[in-house]
Amino acid sequence: MTAVATAPVVRTEARSRAHEIWRIVRLHAVNPSIFFGIPWMIIGAAWAISLIITLIIRAGSGGDVTTEDLDNMRYSWAVLSPQWYLVVVGVQAIGFTFSFALGFGTTRRDFWVGTSVMFLLVSIMYAAAIATLVQIEIATDGWGLGAHMFDALWYGQNWFLDFYTSFALQLLVLFIGASVTTVYMRWRMRGMMILLFTAIALLLAAITGVTLTGSWPSLFAWFGTIGIAGVFSVVLGLAVVSAIVGYFVIRRATPR
Amino acid sequence: MDESRPIFIQIAEQIENDIIDGSLPEGGQIPSTNEFAAFLRVNPATALKGVTRLVDDGIVEKRRGIGMFVTIGARERLVERRRAGFAAEFLRPLIIEAEKLGIDIDELAGMLRAERIQS
Amino acid sequence: MTGTVVRATGLTKRYGSFTAVDAVDFSLEENRIYGLLGRNGAGKTTIMQLLTGQLFASAGRLEVFGREPAEHADVLRRMCFIAESQRYPEDFTPAHVFKSAPWFFENWDAAFAEQLVSDFRLPMKRRIKKLSRGQLSAVGVIVGLASRAPLTFFDEPYLGLDAVARHIFYDRLLEDYVAHPRTVVLSTHLIDEVANLLEHVILIDQGRILLDRDADEVRGSATTIAGPRNTVEAFVADRPVIGREGLGGLASVTIDGRLDQRDRIQAAELGLELAPVSLQQLIVHLTGTDLAGSTEQENAA
Repeated sequence: MTAVATAPVVRTEARSRAHEIWRIVRLHAVNPSIFFGIPWMIIGAAWAISLIITLIIRAGSGGDVTTEDLDNMRYSWAVLSPQWYLVVVGVQAIGFTFSFALGFGTTRRDFWVGTSVMFLLVSIMYAAAIATLVQIEIATDGWGLGAHMFDALWYGQNWFLDFYTSFALQLLVLFIGASVTTVYMRWRMRGMMILLFTAIALLLAAITGVTLTGSWPSLFAWFGTIGIAGVFSVVLGLAVVSAIVGYFVIRRATPR
Repeated sequence: MDESRPIFIQIAEQIENDIIDGSLPEGGQIPSTNEFAAFLRVNPATALKGVTRLVDDGIVEKRRGIGMFVTIGARERLVERRRAGFAAEFLRPLIIEAEKLGIDIDELAGMLRAERIQS
Repeated sequence: MTGTVVRATGLTKRYGSFTAVDAVDFSLEENRIYGLLGRNGAGKTTIMQLLTGQLFASAGRLEVFGREPAEHADVLRRMCFIAESQRYPEDFTPAHVFKSAPWFFENWDAAFAEQLVSDFRLPMKRRIKKLSRGQLSAVGVIVGLASRAPLTFFDEPYLGLDAVARHIFYDRLLEDYVAHPRTVVLSTHLIDEVANLLEHVILIDQGRILLDRDADEVRGSATTIAGPRNTVEAFVADRPVIGREGLGGLASVTIDGRLDQRDRIQAAELGLELAPVSLQQLIVHLTGTDLAGSTEQENAA
């Protein structure tokens, strides 16, 4: 009555891996407000606030504004404002979209690879946008007001460095959010607790180690020698490690 | 649908009833099993089982590619079969109940006649 | 002609010391409608999650379309499982669900989906989080129907649906199943309404299979006998009893097994009342009392 279950699967339509991965990218982008709309709103809002603050500073100093007053704005973190939100996006990509994609019949492997492609594309886009906005801000002399929103912190040396640093940071932010969530999806609360305490223990051990061996000066000196590009290469390295760890963790993760 | 018996038997009986009362004439086509399934909200496999039962009994015949038709002489055979089962299915319980109430056979016959006139 | 779509042997899922699915054996044949029945928490959803590769089994063998389902794209793409408690991406609307569905289901019928949306009067632009329970069920039902996946799961599909919507679901399911045969698994604890749609019934309780039979066989396979206690007890003496209720000198006993014509006449002569047991009642008897569990084994032996 029954045929042998080990008979080969009847293939309906050949599907390429590229297709299976690309549909995950499309799934992340089907509601564009998550990856694009809200981050741009945050950037826009931060930009508007920066301009208003610039106007207030100008008004407060009675038109007698020095560039030093405005240069203090270089230390506002407005340019990084979307990053906090994008950590949450990384968390949601795994916490919600993962369960949904499994229901739609994807593999964990393709889901993670597709999500990584999405993160890569999003990071490239924001890095290019921010690096370009830095240049526009410099070219327009702070939007005609001497404001510093994008040309702030370490930004403003050249387009490529701005692009590289933004890209590395963006990728780290997304992958940290996503890979930590894979730990939750696989081991639930217990896994999160172990991860948290392990991270704290490692951090304390590192600080203690550096302090006891008196290596703080040489550590700072090392950061000095590798420069901003070097520091962000470390950031990029951490992002890649998160991506690889996340891949192995999600392979056995189960949806809520 | 009666919960106590397999649905496919009930479907077969329903079609038989329609043949007996003439609403499905001999030689006429009967609805497809899928139409029965949709109409009665039952699984198509169940409807098929009911119709297959009639095919096996020679009440209905399949004409390949066209559909199902009531066979010639089906009505007569159905009536004969129902008559044969009539005593066991209807009279026996009636008599048991009548005995319980102390109604003897003559009285029962009288009651049957009276009931018939009323209806 | 018919192929085996799913074959599970000794399939087990444990969470720590809790065993959600306990060494079950069953198979699903191609192009049939199955009822996966049982009380809440019986293990229905866990079984469906195992079958769709969402969970990993603790023990046992599982073959779906000929191989282990988890992480096998060629198996997974042939299934559709929208869980009753399905999570959706942040800020998703039904429109997003139906827009992305064709990328995942190669048989997706957009026109059919559209028709179902208007049948169920589903608001397309409302956030999933804001949908009523019935509207949320409708999303799952529409995906399940329009995906036309060779193995489709409906997990408690009519939670919150009103009578009209439920009948739309039954009608569309039957129509579409006839036109596009596929294997369907309906999980539910509300049985009577769907009983007639099912071809085969698998009853789960506490992670074990109590019943795995054709629906037609199950129907009328149990009878309740009521009357004076002593007479009833004598009548059922050597029959498998699955339920027993009593009131004073009266008893009502449910037995597993069909009564033939002779039994019925004998019962009538003894003055006993016979009542059919619906599928729902049978399941209440099988899963609601401590008599449950031994029944199927007795039958199998």
